[in-house]
Amino acid sequence: MLPLSIKDDEYKPAKFNLPGKISGWFRSILSDKTSRNLFFFLCLNLSFAFVELSYGIWSNSLGLISDSFHMFFDCTALLAGLAASVISRWRSNDSFSYGYVRAEVLAGFVNGLFLIFTAFFIFSEGVERALEPPHVNHDRLLPVSIAGLLVNLVGIFVFQHGGHGHSHGGDDDHGHSHSMFNGSASHGHSHGGHETKHGHGDGHGHSHGGHGHSHDDPHCHDELHTPGKGSSKQILQGVFLHIVADTLGSVGVIISALLMQKYDLMIADPICSICISILIGVSVVPLLRESIGILMQQTPPALDNALPECYQRVQQLQGVYNLQEPHFWTLCTDVYIGTLKLLIAPDADSKWILSQTHSIFTQAGVRQLYVQIEVAAM
Amino acid sequence: MACEPNRVRLLCMLSLTFSFFIVEVVVSRITASLAMLSDSFHMLSDVIALLVALVAVWFAEKTQATNKNTFGWIRAEVMGALVNAVFLTALCFTIILEAIERFTNPHEIEQPYVVIGVGAAGLLVNLLGLCLFHGHSGGGHGHSHGGGGPSHGNKKNKRGKLCKSERPDGSSGEETNNLVVRNNSPPNGVNTERCRHEIVGNDSEMHMNGVSGYDELDLGQESGSLNMRGVFLHVLGDALGSVIVVVNAVIFTFVWQPCPPGEQCFNPCIDSHATDHQHINHTLLDMSEGGSGFRPNVMGPCWVLYLDPTLCIIMVCILLYTTYPLLKESALILLQTVPKQIDMHRLNERLLTLDGVLAIHELHIWQLAGSRIIATAHIKCHDPTSYMDVAKRIKDFFHNEGIHATTIQPEFVTVNSASSASLCELSCRTQCAPKLCCGAGEKTGGPGSAGPEGAEKALAASVMEVISETPEGEPDAGGAEEAAASLVQVVPRLEPEVIVTREVESSL
Repeated sequence: MLPLSIKDDEYKPAKFNLPGKISGWFRSILSDKTSRNLFFFLCLNLSFAFVELSYGIWSNSLGLISDSFHMFFDCTALLAGLAASVISRWRSNDSFSYGYVRAEVLAGFVNGLFLIFTAFFIFSEGVERALEPPHVNHDRLLPVSIAGLLVNLVGIFVFQHGGHGHSHGGDDDHGHSHSMFNGSASHGHSHGGHETKHGHGDGHGHSHGGHGHSHDDPHCHDELHTPGKGSSKQILQGVFLHIVADTLGSVGVIISALLMQKYDLMIADPICSICISILIGVSVVPLLRESIGILMQQTPPALDNALPECYQRVQQLQGVYNLQEPHFWTLCTDVYIGTLKLLIAPDADSKWILSQTHSIFTQAGVRQLYVQIEVAAM
Repeated sequence: MACEPNRVRLLCMLSLTFSFFIVEVVVSRITASLAMLSDSFHMLSDVIALLVALVAVWFAEKTQATNKNTFGWIRAEVMGALVNAVFLTALCFTIILEAIERFTNPHEIEQPYVVIGVGAAGLLVNLLGLCLFHGHSGGGHGHSHGGGGPSHGNKKNKRGKLCKSERPDGSSGEETNNLVVRNNSPPNGVNTERCRHEIVGNDSEMHMNGVSGYDELDLGQESGSLNMRGVFLHVLGDALGSVIVVVNAVIFTFVWQPCPPGEQCFNPCIDSHATDHQHINHTLLDMSEGGSGFRPNVMGPCWVLYLDPTLCIIMVCILLYTTYPLLKESALILLQTVPKQIDMHRLNERLLTLDGVLAIHELHIWQLAGSRIIATAHIKCHDPTSYMDVAKRIKDFFHNEGIHATTIQPEFVTVNSASSASLCELSCRTQCAPKLCCGAGEKTGGPGSAGPEGAEKALAASVMEVISETPEGEPDAGGAEEAAASLVQVVPRLEPEVIVTREVESSL
């Protein structure tokens, strides 16, 4: 029988449906609170940058133009964070057996690197200006700094509201109190192509989010906590810290602008830049250290105390001779994965040993554990 | 040691670049040239990049496992490559910004001869660096050879001397396929020990090992060379920059008509731009229109001033194009991707065809760095006695795929074996998203997804087993307490899992 239907859509290769994809992304962004906030803050920053750019072109001020470019550069960082928060929610597939959850850590790390680079860049510019103070145009300085400060204050309000509202589910044995992903840094940079100064804090921080919402990854989110609380708290805290730092940077720039206007203290500008760059550098260090720890497959610091005790308990199980080659690492926030090998007696009950081992480590917080059993010969 | 050449090269290049940086700073102070100063900062960023690479290489050579880094420091290379790639990208952005600035506000080069001199010197340094590092990135295949000792003092340890990663306790990131029995020590398939080296190409005496080397050679991109690739790209970017500087300065000296000293000059290229210069130009224009017969000199062709930013943008495009693959690759490794030469689906199918393997769950394969691939899985089999043979076969199978560090967790079927063959017995924790944790078992083609009742019964059965087994094997009180305590946790843990599975089924 010939097929009667001419509807052969299912046999056609799937078309690359761009509008569909984009709307899918938007839905994904808007579904999660953290990424929603990030998105809006990104839009705010972008619009501010556009306004600055057009104003600069209109008034033919080179400084404003270059600063708006700098802002665009920062918006890319925010965009990366947003992208990471969306990507990390994708399902696992044949190429990524753990899913894409590491994207957050990676994005945090890359943003940290960008921040360090920016700090270095500002430092170098500050040094240049200290050695050869350019003529600074005061007129456009203050309004732009103040506008930047306002943008940052909006950010503070938005992310504070989100960040402190959660109480943490409580029983984590990890004490990360500082921002996980990125962004505790700012640079109100007194940049500006030697023409104007503006202190705008860049919307750099973004911690990404959305852990544990419509999660399809094997990396589980803990149902003992309400989903999303664990990592969102850190993320939002990170963004908050970052925006606070940005605001401080703006304030610093405003102060130095005032100093320059009133007292004609030209040296204030470079000193301000240098201080700000040092501040950024210092504040990025904890973030970098954590993300490096995760990316290097290090044993999670949160488990440092619990693990030796677990090893002991496992070795005391009936029939277990030895525990070898333990490897524990962090997949992403709060998700620990471990592998180990047990050497057991030939007459030992491997099923029981397996389940006991699993429960021991589950109490410690390692939920994905692979235990390889090796039976010793008599 | 054979791993030294990389370090030596890096140190060499590092010292050269650093001294050049100092030279540039001094020259910029002497000539009061801002451009030179900013270029010196560029050099400084190179120094930092080289430093990063050096640190990464140095760390990665310490392949011993410590308590903190149970896999050793192998990943440091990938991280170093990523850091370099990111820095390069950021640098490119900066250069674009500056080029755009130059477009809108072009200015001529002061003291072009000094610039030519310093630029040529920088170019020389960079070319030297290119030669130094070219072998690494071009060759691109680090070899790992038999070595790093695992615990059972086996034969191939002798070659381990050559690699620094030899240790007595055998917990290098490369777990050996040490199957079943300690003193049995079968030849373990192909070679069990590996050690990581950054050696590339030339040190041929190192890799006589007749390793199942196909996997290393295939890979081409090894992490050692990944890091070196990053360095190479950085140095390439520098070389391009120096070329641009020199070309620009040379063209400038020959084409540009400078302002003769002592006379008024009129610069047509600058006046239409940045407002700050307007007042200067007004006076000049006034002068030109004013006195008759007074004709100010016009500076040279304007396009020369735009040459610099144009070349810069071309350079940025080249750099970005060459950096992107490096960035992508190191990022993918850090994202725990399945190495591209491994087809998960096919692997899964082939695993299922092995004797005694009923189902596979939670198969994860990821790349630690270079050719070190790590796999973990749960394998469901009939009973403990048959498990050992199955284990050996599975290990051999992975070995043939080029995965040498595997951890296989056995799971044994419970009472309702038929219906629950596709379900995880154990480690799917309750908190896991129900769909994927044990649902992965379904994709292995087990006998259909068990209905909710089957799931419940299976889990209840395993709970029962746990409960019933513990009293038997507990001669000492301490063990019993512990078992009881953990039992209490076992039971409530399993129940939510049941509920969860039921929800899954209903949502389908």
